[in-house]
Amino acid sequence: MTPINRRTALAGATVLAGTRFARAQAKPDVKLAMLVPLSGPWARSGLLEQMGARMAIEDINNNGGIKALGGAKLKLLEFDAGESAEKAKDAAQRMVAQEPDLSGGFGCWLSTFTLAATEVTERAELPWMTLSYSDLITNRGFKYVFQASPTADAQAKDLVPIIMDMAEKAGAKRPSKVALVGDNSASSVSFYKAIREIVIPEQKLISVADEIFTPPLADATTIVQKLRTGKPDFVLLQSTNAGDDKILVDKFAEFGLTSQKMAMVGGGGHWCQPELTKLTTKEHLEGVIVGLANWPGKAMADITRRFIERTKEPWFGHDSLFGYTHVMTYAAALEHAGSADKNKVMQALHTMDIKDGPARFFPDGRIKFDEKGRRVGAKLCVVQWRNGEPVPVFPDAVATHQAVWPRAS
Amino acid sequence: MRNGTAEKLRRDLTLLVVLSTVYATGSWFVSNSYYQLILTLVPIWAAFGVSWNILSGYGGQLSFGHASFFGIGGYTMTLALVYWNLTPWLGIPLGMVVGGVAAVVIGMPTFRLRGHYFALSMLAYPLAILYFLQYFGFQEMSLPMHRENPGAYLEFSDPRYYTLVAVGLLAVAVLTCICVENSRFGLALLAVRQNELAAEAAGIDSKTWKMRALVVSGMLAAAAGGLYACVQLVVTPDSVFGMLVSAQPVVLTLFGGVASLWGPVIGAAFLVPLSKGLDATVGSYLPGIQGVVYGAAVIAIILLAPDGLYWTLRDKFNKRPTPKPIPQASKPDRVGGSRATAGKPLMRVENLSKNFGGLRAVSDVSFEIAEGEILGIIGPNGAGKTTLFNLLNGVLPPSSGSASLDGVSLLGKKVHQVCHMGIGRTFQVVRSFPRLPLIDNVMVGAYGAGVTDQEAADAAIHALHRTGLADLAGVEAGSLTNKQLRLMELARALAGRPRLLLLDETLAGLGREECDDILDVLKRLRDEGMTIGIIEHTMHAMLRIADRFVVLDHGAVLASGPPREVVENRSVIEAYLGKKFLAAQNNA
Repeated sequence: MTPINRRTALAGATVLAGTRFARAQAKPDVKLAMLVPLSGPWARSGLLEQMGARMAIEDINNNGGIKALGGAKLKLLEFDAGESAEKAKDAAQRMVAQEPDLSGGFGCWLSTFTLAATEVTERAELPWMTLSYSDLITNRGFKYVFQASPTADAQAKDLVPIIMDMAEKAGAKRPSKVALVGDNSASSVSFYKAIREIVIPEQKLISVADEIFTPPLADATTIVQKLRTGKPDFVLLQSTNAGDDKILVDKFAEFGLTSQKMAMVGGGGHWCQPELTKLTTKEHLEGVIVGLANWPGKAMADITRRFIERTKEPWFGHDSLFGYTHVMTYAAALEHAGSADKNKVMQALHTMDIKDGPARFFPDGRIKFDEKGRRVGAKLCVVQWRNGEPVPVFPDAVATHQAVWPRAS
Repeated sequence: MRNGTAEKLRRDLTLLVVLSTVYATGSWFVSNSYYQLILTLVPIWAAFGVSWNILSGYGGQLSFGHASFFGIGGYTMTLALVYWNLTPWLGIPLGMVVGGVAAVVIGMPTFRLRGHYFALSMLAYPLAILYFLQYFGFQEMSLPMHRENPGAYLEFSDPRYYTLVAVGLLAVAVLTCICVENSRFGLALLAVRQNELAAEAAGIDSKTWKMRALVVSGMLAAAAGGLYACVQLVVTPDSVFGMLVSAQPVVLTLFGGVASLWGPVIGAAFLVPLSKGLDATVGSYLPGIQGVVYGAAVIAIILLAPDGLYWTLRDKFNKRPTPKPIPQASKPDRVGGSRATAGKPLMRVENLSKNFGGLRAVSDVSFEIAEGEILGIIGPNGAGKTTLFNLLNGVLPPSSGSASLDGVSLLGKKVHQVCHMGIGRTFQVVRSFPRLPLIDNVMVGAYGAGVTDQEAADAAIHALHRTGLADLAGVEAGSLTNKQLRLMELARALAGRPRLLLLDETLAGLGREECDDILDVLKRLRDEGMTIGIIEHTMHAMLRIADRFVVLDHGAVLASGPPREVVENRSVIEAYLGKKFLAAQNNA
């Protein structure tokens, strides 16, 4: 190399360093992507998640941004996952193509969409956080995917013992007869597979009815008749949308099968969506127990209040809470990594083990992801409809009320 | 390849090579991975459209359920990869085989149905398969990622390679379609599409050709589905078997141009980027609106160009060049044997009857057609003339009686088999293939006779000379006059080199001079030795040409014999003009 070349190289390096310095001064925004259904049948869930995420972004930015990055602000880039896996995957492709400097992202609410989108994000080496339940999501050996919820299989195994303990604690005899009602969609099918093959034998339960329907449910009369004949102590309702939930509880009420006579246990965030109170009456919902991946507890009273104020939604629920928590978890990871680089963020998420900050938003109070990207110790939450509102009853960390169980007749 | 297609073939092949090269080269310079994804999806959907076009465009068998094959391709490839670790390079061909087998299984029961019933039944298959897959737990299949040697598993970190593979797939599909279009395959399909009965009467075994079309189409669709799954990385029943997947090739092809080679390609080139572009633009600030804009765009185009973009543009800008004259026919041939043997009965019909429930449409009809004669079958409307022809040529099974051609029984044979025995037929309503040149319309009849391409071309040219249409050989059938169409149909029947022609009201709707022209042609044919049975109710024309009459009334033979004798027969006059006329005549 000639001296002239060396000088040129040095000059070049100085210029480069200068640019970098200038950029650092400007504190570029740290970009997070949100890919959720904003149109189509699942749009409402996506919008609820969006509300939570937007609030978290504001909270962070109003508190001085990411301190490890000199107070850099967070910027949320929103993408619509649409109504099919194909659309979700296309949107993910668009997202990584248009925004090469993302630090991380989250979504897509529905497991099917998440599965498709993460095939893209993993190849783009973009950290991805999700509330989706499917075990498949974190069963593919991916390094950049982080699942904050307990997986569907784990939920299936946890839910029934929790419910049975709850019955005893509420003063009823330990349930011995169960009925299964659900649709034939992916999540319900895999949920009931675990229930039938593992949970029922383990808990020495007798299954008195097993009714599977194709959504949307048109009429629940035959289901009700099976339940009246079988007289289960509790019925699991594994539907996947609020419309079917309404038909089930309405038809049960019509035949006098209220929660006062037979415990009803729904699964999934839709069982707690505010719309449900408009679709059916609070009397029909009274006492329905719902198992889901998270619910804001006592510790989040302030956030809940602020959320209700700004969104006019009746409560701060499962979907919004996850939107809020995902952003907060990223903020913690960014502080930890001290860099907005997506690979550093991924490493920070893998090494993270915290019991404060965003960890407080989970009932088990800890954020640590295992090798697969599953949150260690992720626990199921149980809420119960009381007077037109779902209230947390399990675990104790979040519970504001005691569960009510129908008196043994 | 068919004769007379060399020029078109050369043009299409050149276009294919140029377009693929330009597209592949152009896409190499696109670095944005989303735009690259669109560039990959365009040829995949286009290939799917091409596959649909073969069955539904050329063959006219409208399928609303082509997702069956697309999905089978996608799922076969995915399951083979997941469970056997079989690379998609082999998984996609395997999917094509499964798709082809599925086509046979689906086609066997479904081709028993026609028209709307066929279309609706096809719709049911993907929906049924979808539930099966859900039941067996294949709701969400993701393609395992191969970090080692990804190229061997059709996985590329550089998305440009996907586009190259997709272009290759489309080239294969277009090549297949070129082969179909320019061979007797395509002509047979077009004939079936226009009128299955007429095609059968021209000797085409429609069921076999339809099945072949479905198999070819199913295999191509499966290949498109397999590659689509590779690109999408996740397969769900809805994403490959869903209603929207079935709708996609229909929309693309209707938009681009049905039954045209480039139609589906044009459709995909416009609509796929439009739909994806709308997702990326308006969809990102007003989620969901992209579907509305897309739908409106499709409606607008279909209103403005109902035949599809290709045909509309072609009609507008590319007037067909003046057709070249066709070569002179080698020699007048005498298919029907020599006149010396005239008089020997060629067709014999004995006590033929047909009941439709309580209605006896044809009742104990017996007659003969002698070689080299023109037999006029006359009778008032509703006398059973057309039903009689339908019995003779296999359209309807008779209730009783017998019919034979040169001693061989005609009954129980299918329409195309009767044609192969040497009976040509024309129909009351002319069935032409308006987009095809006259010569191709006639060639359909020649292919029906199952001859080689060269023989078929010769036969068609010869038939055109015999009917005096030689000068119009290159003209599109859609622009012919009624008389020319009648002659064209006659030529089509002649091209199959029949021994006997059954003509159903060939003179219907023609003026006197036009009638004369056709009668001249018929006379010339008789002089060349052709045997003809002709249905007509215009008595004056028949008097000038027929050697003998058979008069039908209420399904039964009322009279037969030399024309002069028959028209003076009292019962014939009564049947035609009524008792009152007869009485008035007697009084006068």
